[in-house]
Amino acid sequence: MSPAALLRRVAPVLACIGLLAVWQVASLALKNDSFPTATEAIRAIPDILGDKESLINILASLRRMALGFGVAVLVSIPLGLLMGRSRSVAAFFNPLLMVIYPVPKAALMPIIMLWLGVGDVTKTLVIFLGVSLPVIYHSFEGAKAVEEKMLWSGAAMGLSPAQRLVRIVLPAALPEILTGCRTGLVLALITMITSEMIARQSGAGNILFNALDMGQYDTVFAMIIIVGAMGICLDAIFERVRARLVRWSEPQFDMPLSFS
Amino acid sequence: MTVVPARSSQWVRPVTSQEPASAIIEIDHVSQIFQTSARKDHVALSDISLTIEEGAFVSILGPSGCGKSTLLYIVGGFVSPTSGSAKIKGHAITGPGPDRGPVFQEFALFPWKTVLGNVMYGPRQQGVRAAEAEAQSRALIEMVGLKGYENFYPKELSGGMKQRVALARTLAYHPEVLLMDEPFGALDAHTRTRLQNDLLSIWERDRKTVLFVTHSVDEAVFLSDKVVMMSKSPGRIREVIDIDLPRPRRRNELLLDPRYQKYVVDIERMFDESDEAGPAS
Repeated sequence: MSPAALLRRVAPVLACIGLLAVWQVASLALKNDSFPTATEAIRAIPDILGDKESLINILASLRRMALGFGVAVLVSIPLGLLMGRSRSVAAFFNPLLMVIYPVPKAALMPIIMLWLGVGDVTKTLVIFLGVSLPVIYHSFEGAKAVEEKMLWSGAAMGLSPAQRLVRIVLPAALPEILTGCRTGLVLALITMITSEMIARQSGAGNILFNALDMGQYDTVFAMIIIVGAMGICLDAIFERVRARLVRWSEPQFDMPLSFS
Repeated sequence: MTVVPARSSQWVRPVTSQEPASAIIEIDHVSQIFQTSARKDHVALSDISLTIEEGAFVSILGPSGCGKSTLLYIVGGFVSPTSGSAKIKGHAITGPGPDRGPVFQEFALFPWKTVLGNVMYGPRQQGVRAAEAEAQSRALIEMVGLKGYENFYPKELSGGMKQRVALARTLAYHPEVLLMDEPFGALDAHTRTRLQNDLLSIWERDRKTVLFVTHSVDEAVFLSDKVVMMSKSPGRIREVIDIDLPRPRRRNELLLDPRYQKYVVDIERMFDESDEAGPAS
């Protein structure tokens, strides 16, 4: 392996070690109770993961996230594709989405809590709202960009409009749709934690804020690491699936970058 | 009958009854008006009438913006004319159908399908069993010179290869008419020549009706039985010329043939004489 390739391979590890080292030094220098050292935070991780109660909380979070994300994707992709291929569908939904888009979904939580309580339904609904918009947007853009002539070719082969939507627009827009899903996945994690901050009943966010209330700062930081790691793992898994599904659209060769 | 500015072609099969028996496509007083953004009407096609005989290779030749592609799209059923009508085998064209197979300049392949998957798509859609469709498609892929590339994705192919796949994909569902929209327009000169030769040898085997849109005079004369010259704004048929050259045509013989040269020079002169800019060939 060439030195450049080796460096590329170990660079992420170096970045993590670097970050932890800066944290450790900063924490030792500041000597602040609310800022534990990196080693203290890492040492608290096994305690959390070993605790049955915490695990149930984290799994409950993940379940809500999976449900919110899954339903959002199932609803948003067809809607986005229809908007991309039909001017009247787009004209109807675009203004609605423009109104909802800039509103932080967590800001809707108090109202939703009022209507649906503080349980799973409310939190899952907030995750659903958070995921929907980027997936709709990217599906919309992807469907709009599908070459008309490709659809004409399909029509000449005898595909009905519905078949063209499912068998041409969907696969042709898939790279763009999956870009939206990837953004949606990260947003699902963010809205998941946010929803648990607001409706404190169970979940990973609940552990974090309970620890904060009780001044267990090492647990707070340990939870931040755990949530971050969850995000990185989910994203990595998703990226692998995505790369497999759209291998046909990826560039064949790695072009050298300007600063490689 | 409609006003048909056409003389009989040498390449029409022996016809028992006159004209109607051999006409496969009839375009009857077709006009196409597009509304531009400035709310001004743009007349893309003005009162086009044309009859295309079965088994003929007909080119529509004209400068860009003369509506020649629009005319092809109307026959394809992809665009409805503002007025007038088009018929295939006596039936009004109301939409696309597998009897008319398009080949576009942009290839329009399905990028998520391999070469084989693209070619098989039409037959599978028509209900041909998978094994049979695959066998036919492999034979077609070999015919267009892409044996060994069956499992490649479109992004892995050059422009010329993509257009070969597009041709095979369209031939695979056995359309009665091939609609070719400047199919070699995006290719370099060398590839273009090779594809013209190959298209001609494929066509000379089964003599499918071809409607071929181009802005290249040489290409039109080399390939066609009949050249429909169009002028622009508004798009009108200027002249219909029968190309009376022997087949099978060989490029190296034809280029030296004074009759071929005369067709090319005459057509170019006719374009120059009109007040619009000549065809950008």
